[in-house]
Amino acid sequence: MSHALIVAEVRQGQFEERNLDSIGFCSLLAKQAVLLAPVGGYAIEERVVDTVVRVAVEEALFLNPLNVIRIIGREFETRGKPDVIVFTSSSSGSELAAYTAGHFNLPIITDVSGFDKERFLFYKSYYSDKIFGEFRPAAGGPYVVTVRSGSFKEHALEKPAAASVETMDGLALAEGRAFMGYVEEEKGEIDITKADFLLSVGRGIGSKDEIPAYEALAELLKAVISGSRPVIDKQWLPKARQVGTSGKTVKPKVYLAMAISGAFQHIAGMKDSDCIIAVNKNAEAPIFQHAHYGIVGDANKLRDKFREILKG
Amino acid sequence: MSLNSAKVLTCIQCGKCTGSCPESGKTAFNVRIIMRKRQFGRAVEEAIPWYCTSCGACTLRCPRDVKPSEVIIDVRSALVEDGQVPNSIQKALENTFVQKNPWGRSRAKRGEWSEKLDIEIPHVSETQSKRLLLTCCIQAYDPRCMVIPANVARILRKGGLEFGVLGEEEACCGNEIRRIGETGLFEELMEENIATFREHGVREIIALSPHCMNTLRKEYGSLGIKVSHYSETVAAMIADGSLKAHASYDKKVIYHDPCFLGKQNNIFDEPRSILKAIPGLEMLEFSRSRETSLCCEGGGGRMFYEAEGSYERNSVVRVNEAIERGADVIATSCPFCVMTLEDPATEKGLAVREVSEILMEVLG
Amino acid sequence: MNILVFTKRVPATQEEEIRVVDDGKKVDLSKVPFKLNDWDNYAVEEAVRLAEKTGGSVSAVSMGDAESDEVLRRAIAMGASDGFLIEAGIDRQDPNARATLALNFLRKEALPFDAIFTGVQAEDDQFGSMGGILAGKLGLPYASMVIGIDAFEKEHVIVRRELEGGLQERVKVSLPCVLAIQSGINEPRYVSIMGIRKASKVERKVFKAAEYQEGVQNMIEVERWTYPPTRGGATMIQGDADSICKELLGILKEKGVFQ
Repeated sequence: MSHALIVAEVRQGQFEERNLDSIGFCSLLAKQAVLLAPVGGYAIEERVVDTVVRVAVEEALFLNPLNVIRIIGREFETRGKPDVIVFTSSSSGSELAAYTAGHFNLPIITDVSGFDKERFLFYKSYYSDKIFGEFRPAAGGPYVVTVRSGSFKEHALEKPAAASVETMDGLALAEGRAFMGYVEEEKGEIDITKADFLLSVGRGIGSKDEIPAYEALAELLKAVISGSRPVIDKQWLPKARQVGTSGKTVKPKVYLAMAISGAFQHIAGMKDSDCIIAVNKNAEAPIFQHAHYGIVGDANKLRDKFREILKG
Repeated sequence: MSLNSAKVLTCIQCGKCTGSCPESGKTAFNVRIIMRKRQFGRAVEEAIPWYCTSCGACTLRCPRDVKPSEVIIDVRSALVEDGQVPNSIQKALENTFVQKNPWGRSRAKRGEWSEKLDIEIPHVSETQSKRLLLTCCIQAYDPRCMVIPANVARILRKGGLEFGVLGEEEACCGNEIRRIGETGLFEELMEENIATFREHGVREIIALSPHCMNTLRKEYGSLGIKVSHYSETVAAMIADGSLKAHASYDKKVIYHDPCFLGKQNNIFDEPRSILKAIPGLEMLEFSRSRETSLCCEGGGGRMFYEAEGSYERNSVVRVNEAIERGADVIATSCPFCVMTLEDPATEKGLAVREVSEILMEVLG
Repeated sequence: MNILVFTKRVPATQEEEIRVVDDGKKVDLSKVPFKLNDWDNYAVEEAVRLAEKTGGSVSAVSMGDAESDEVLRRAIAMGASDGFLIEAGIDRQDPNARATLALNFLRKEALPFDAIFTGVQAEDDQFGSMGGILAGKLGLPYASMVIGIDAFEKEHVIVRRELEGGLQERVKVSLPCVLAIQSGINEPRYVSIMGIRKASKVERKVFKAAEYQEGVQNMIEVERWTYPPTRGGATMIQGDADSICKELLGILKEKGVFQ
């Protein structure tokens, strides 16, 4: 059986869950999975891949594209070229994948979210995610893929035997790029346009007294609070948190709109969010026309239930 | 120095401008001081020029014809050329550049409101009269305001008046763009629209927003095209009997004069005559009405900009007064006024209706 | 620092309904307006600011049809000192092909640079790879998802990369290098229409892509264009509060905002 090379993403000592999508993808392709991972005291579910190669560099060096090409180069030498090299479609994964494709002159298809086995086609999003392009590599030889998080992990199944473990060491490391440390978000003046996850409240929450409970929920979810104009007008939240045409325009990964009806000027300020989840008592609320997910119900009650579940 | 700014030298600092300004007193915006700074070529604090709602009250009342509204546009122009534009306004401008409407909605969908109607509306080129019904950007895209062109179209059809639309060939009229100071973009919009009008031989334009009517009538040059606000057309149709109310509207209706219709273009009576022609309707007036109507703070780019600090919105003041006077409905004839008044009104249980919405209910 | 910024003219697809025609062979972009790729806007702004601070200059490069001149003019209006248009007849849907074209151009024209900036991705093809591939081929240090440039010296820059969940990492990258700039790194200045008109007076050199075709080919091919599984409005989440919350958590995890 041909083999697939998976470059694992290990960050701050954690084997990222999205690696399972890379692994599942390889199963779908019916390939032996060889997983490249840095040294470190983290756990890998060793039954989902066939081979684990513990590369003798620590994670920061592993995530450096200038080093990844040396690691992969060594793999080419020792095991021979794989059919496919798989990365996660994440900040690091995309970076490493592109550099790898350039260095080794390999075809690359990114953000793959589906695979048609029969026709050997990879589905890739195009034009603001409105179109799928069905792609395949045009020539023989290894190709590079990044896989969209959540798309293939259900195919990462346990194998009958545990993976065989190998090591890779004696690598000459590159200069030219060095890791200097992590930076957490500064807790300064709030800039909601920089948030990944916004929990936005509308007039429908009822009163200013409901805000602290929403702030507590936001804290548990690691979300940033924002609001629609009426909420700011009533001074339940400061102006810096206003979403809308006369406030801020935001494009977070997730916009959770609690008790916001969806007036035109508000929608204009958040419609480009990756994922809009709307909670509103009124099933006819205009916001549901722009949301990806909708829940008809009492926002305050849902908030309380959510807090309960998160704390428990 | 442009012509407008040259006039600033004749300002005698009487303060009538500040006295009539809807933003003064409650915000740091002070028209007289801005004129003073311009007289001495001094810089105006960055944020301040963006507070102006372009209501025109200062220009109307200035005894020296300084036209402070225009001076403020000049100040904004300089900021625009310098790239010093508040983010939210920048977004509106960039949207207008790409999609020809400040909301950034798809140009291709601009005509959709007319396609979903129960009546067929031809393209203006297919009409005999070459009479164009022109929608405001917000009416073309916002579901709440979309009812306005829909209703007016039905009303005109009922009255037997022929008209057509431009659909996606329509671009933003540029009234707010000009007030924001983006002269280059305004010129591009104007040129494009004029070319479209000429291409289709447009002879008359009925504008559905006072803002569009204002710029087409006064700033597009001599078009040789008659430009009206729909209230003028409909008032005439009621007067000559082509339109007649068949039902009654038993409510107390207080009318709010939009700045761009009223104080800037002297159209006070036509919308009122429409309301007065409706049986059962009891008309109320605000203490500040007609030329002194209190600006709703929707114009001058204010749909896209918030002033600093917390202050009471004029829309809230209006709604409170409407309730005090016992009104059931606030009627107005501008989509921006509808948008700004409706939020506080809904909270207090008061309805806001565009005049065409009320008329539509009684025409039968 | 002298910086080359790659700028792409892309269809503004966010608001549009995009249609597939010819049985999946083509995507109909005839009614879609075009504009500068959003990420490139940030890249140009960052390059201009950096050049201002270091006393360098910015050159904008664009690979595309003749209309792409529009984005060069915009870059110049923002502060770039000149623009280069590599006029391509074919529109290749392959970041490798685009990177190879760029590589050949850079080598043949021997354009000097301390850094090459691209945007993290293009709004149309969303490959997010051109910069990385180019860096790999040039053998230059590379960092993508650059959300801040904290320091710059003659021989290196210190940048912050955007990771997931609000975390960032700081890396030191030697010059010359390639950086893919992430949106939100700055607030791009507004460029007025009059400003763009003035920029038209600056010469934009036009080159023919045909002269730089060595090794340029499609390494991937598109069989067909289709629509993703339709959503058609919000997917309503039903059930009791408990199950709704659990389903919500699942969505948040999938989107990568909650662990």
